[in-house]
Amino acid sequence: MAKTVVLLCNCFGEIGGVLPLEEIAGKLRESGDGLSAHVLPSLCMDRDAERMGTLLRDEGADSVVAGGCPSPARRETLRRALEIAGIDPARCAHVDLREGCAWIHRNDAAGAARKAADLLAMGLASLGERGTSPDVWTEVRPECLVVGAGPAGLAAASALARRGVTTHLVERSAQAGGMMNLLSRVYPGNEDGKSRIAPGVRELEENPRIVFHPRSRVLSVKGFAGDFKVLVQTADGPLHLRAGAVIVATGAGVFLPAKMYRYGELKQVITLMELERRWTRGIGEAKRFVFIQCVGARCPERPYCSTICCPSSLKNAVRVMEEIPGGEATVLHRDIMTPGAVLEKYYRKAMETGVRFVRFREDAPPEVTGSETVEEVRVRDAAGGKVWALPADAVVLATPLVPGMDNRSLKDLLGIELDGHGFFAETYPLHPLETRMDGIFIAGSARWPVSSEQAAAQGEGAAVKALGILVQGRVSALSLGRVPGRKLGHGRVEEGSCTGCGNCVAVCPFLACSLQDTGNGRLVSRVNKMRCKACGNCVSVCPNGTMQIPEHNYRMVGAMIRKAFSE
Amino acid sequence: METASERNEGKPVKILVFACRWCGGIGAERAGWKRADLPASFRVIPVECAALVEPDAVFRALAAGIDGVAVLGCHVGGCRYDEANHAALKRMELLKVLLDTAGIGGERLCLAFGTAHEDHQFAAVMGDFHRLLQGMPPLAPWTGGGDEDSPRSVGT
Amino acid sequence: MKEIKDMSRDLLERREVDGVLGLRQGAYDIVEPHVFRDPGETSLLVTEPKWPMAKTAMKVLRDAPEGFRLAVVARGCDERALTELAKRNQVRDRNLRIIGVACTEARAKECLCDRPYPREIHGGRQEPGADPFEDPRVRALLEGDSRERMNRWASLLRRCIKCYGCRNACPICVCVPCKLEDEIWVEKGSVPAEMLVFHLIRAFHLSDTCVACGACQEACPVFIPLLSLQLAMRRTLKEEYGYEPGMERDRRSPVLKNAFEEPGTRKSVPAWVSPLEENHD
Repeated sequence: MAKTVVLLCNCFGEIGGVLPLEEIAGKLRESGDGLSAHVLPSLCMDRDAERMGTLLRDEGADSVVAGGCPSPARRETLRRALEIAGIDPARCAHVDLREGCAWIHRNDAAGAARKAADLLAMGLASLGERGTSPDVWTEVRPECLVVGAGPAGLAAASALARRGVTTHLVERSAQAGGMMNLLSRVYPGNEDGKSRIAPGVRELEENPRIVFHPRSRVLSVKGFAGDFKVLVQTADGPLHLRAGAVIVATGAGVFLPAKMYRYGELKQVITLMELERRWTRGIGEAKRFVFIQCVGARCPERPYCSTICCPSSLKNAVRVMEEIPGGEATVLHRDIMTPGAVLEKYYRKAMETGVRFVRFREDAPPEVTGSETVEEVRVRDAAGGKVWALPADAVVLATPLVPGMDNRSLKDLLGIELDGHGFFAETYPLHPLETRMDGIFIAGSARWPVSSEQAAAQGEGAAVKALGILVQGRVSALSLGRVPGRKLGHGRVEEGSCTGCGNCVAVCPFLACSLQDTGNGRLVSRVNKMRCKACGNCVSVCPNGTMQIPEHNYRMVGAMIRKAFSE
Repeated sequence: METASERNEGKPVKILVFACRWCGGIGAERAGWKRADLPASFRVIPVECAALVEPDAVFRALAAGIDGVAVLGCHVGGCRYDEANHAALKRMELLKVLLDTAGIGGERLCLAFGTAHEDHQFAAVMGDFHRLLQGMPPLAPWTGGGDEDSPRSVGT
Repeated sequence: MKEIKDMSRDLLERREVDGVLGLRQGAYDIVEPHVFRDPGETSLLVTEPKWPMAKTAMKVLRDAPEGFRLAVVARGCDERALTELAKRNQVRDRNLRIIGVACTEARAKECLCDRPYPREIHGGRQEPGADPFEDPRVRALLEGDSRERMNRWASLLRRCIKCYGCRNACPICVCVPCKLEDEIWVEKGSVPAEMLVFHLIRAFHLSDTCVACGACQEACPVFIPLLSLQLAMRRTLKEEYGYEPGMERDRRSPVLKNAFEEPGTRKSVPAWVSPLEENHD
């Protein structure tokens, strides 16, 4: 026989001081539904768990309505009490009588009392109609897939491997290191990119848990968090993998400033990357370097700051002053972006070594003059308006990082999204490094232009997030919500009433619904419980109420609406 | 700012609030922490996301004699379920158009997408909505399904 | 209409289709929908009166064998309805052909139709549609202050005898089971239908799929101008999203899509801003 017990929290007077709890309890007992009701001084203290648990057990309760504050601590204590009494947590309705009633209606005792009674009636009604979503479990594959072996990918693979996770590292080119391999020097120190990345590469070779696949590409990814089925095209042929999580660290490309500042026309107009190459191969005779910042960045087509171009230009400008006898470096900029203590120090060092800075306005860019080679760069100083004519042997253009060429195809493979600039979209700001697909994480410049240290930090962060899935032996669909703890439930299709209209498929932000052919030409919606986050859009667009979330179905809502106002 | 008793001298109103678990619900909670003084005319049904508010539930509420329905959700772009609240907002705004057509008044559906950590917003929204509804005519011709002259309960 | 009869006959003679769905004038001048199979039969084909052909086509196709090629004599509204049904997987439109019939301007005014012609016209001439908001009956119903409007609608809807004619005639209302027959929503055995629940639920379910064919109000035995419930919503969709139900086969309702795929004029996100950046104003 169904026995519901109502627990009302006095909250040490915070609630009882406004609401007539004993009266409310009395009315509930007299309502004739076999309810029992108790007013308790608190529901959240440690000792309350034992006390409530015993009370509920002695009364033979199988459902509970708890009226008190909405604080999580109370729920934890309640959860323990329910455990003691052997009651399913889904059979407990929480009613907010404090923040939602006593504390905001202190000047209207009668109104507050009526409201409290109504809220409790709504809670009781919800219990009557509340359903439970079935759960599904999947065995979690203990391996991880990391796409891209640049600083982010290497850091991720290293972090994972050190914790015992076998990691498949898929890299498009023949070697690990990404863009680091192209850098002749990595600021703020003196080593070149290859040396900086060497420890990571060594770990790659030495740690048996990292399986490196150079000259390989990901061809397809199916499945879901805990069990992704991946097809990789490696140098030795196709490879099928199964991974519990995927980290995308594919880096970015560099913008080529075609036709800007006479790039492509005059030989001595080069990009920062090309300068790196020259340091290695031979800097030539050039002595007077002019750096131009924000080339193709912070403009309508690419309205972002690429983070690393200012530090990079400063690094190169300092190097010109220090290593080239008679060298001169001038940096033409719209702003110098050097956040943090290390970079700020570097900026000052640049000024101390004699690097000159001229600020120009966006609407008055510098002009490169010369017929066969670069002769001069003319720039109008933003402060004062004077036009400087700077004789130059080389003009170095600082261009931004842009989304990698493969981003579009990769996003379709994985089912994740790109942001408005073409980089992989994370579910900012609440879930850093996560994407709309559970189990797929992003790190490094694939996500946003960053320095190699930041990329490495993000790689580790993504690894830790991936571990959150990988360490579980099996993961249940109800645990994969956007909340800690249990998901509300899943969408559920009522057998036989689905018309196959596809509204749910179109509206779901997580691509959790799909239409399946039942065999006789009839299409019926099916919910992928792993992907479903119980946001409820499918329910609201279903034309005939076929799709419901059992824990919040329309019967329940209807019952609550009926009880909302008692007079 | 009128007092509770002043408010109560006006016409009583009934408001049903669907507050999402995040911005909506947390905004409401914070109003509680601040001990905001609000009219006791509203009842909250917590929902996971504003997307879970079925339009038909709004009609059901109005038919049950409730004067106004408020749907509280997160900023467009700040929804924990990614873009779930985009469709919800569009849907609710279209619902307002229908309520306007029928003369019930789109104002009876109050949409506040963004009352997150801004507790004063929750208080302001509820206070304003309460006052607005006090000034509106009753829905009586619409609720109950008819008047005494029309035939009812045909062949039970 | 001679051109329609001729085209139907030709299609059947050339075996380009297996059947033509149209209206047949039979004994005692009774007109009914019929699937013409024999080319000779098409001499009995007529194009009046107006018939909700889309729903009939859906039923014909549902019962027809796989691969049955059907041509439908369809007006503008029928074609729009068929497009909407196809989007929602109620009609397999791969083997569906439209024999288009255009309506006259006079008919358009009667139906409050702003697009009285299908995409391809095989019979009749394209004539201008009517702006429903200019129609005096509509203006009388929708203008004025909201209290007057509410009372007007209340007195109209009070006539409802819950015959379900509107739902049955509407080409978009195809759900089985239908919410309006669920006791939780609509009380059995009482008339008039609880206005808020029955009519507004139906109106909102159609908010972004109503093709303004007018079948609902033509079927209503007590002359409730049901189409007017939809007009403002249709106009909103047109103005905000440039969306007209039934005109684009490959575009689902913008209300189902997020604000990046279907921004709308009021909620647009600038093209060059990352979707999740602008949430702090």
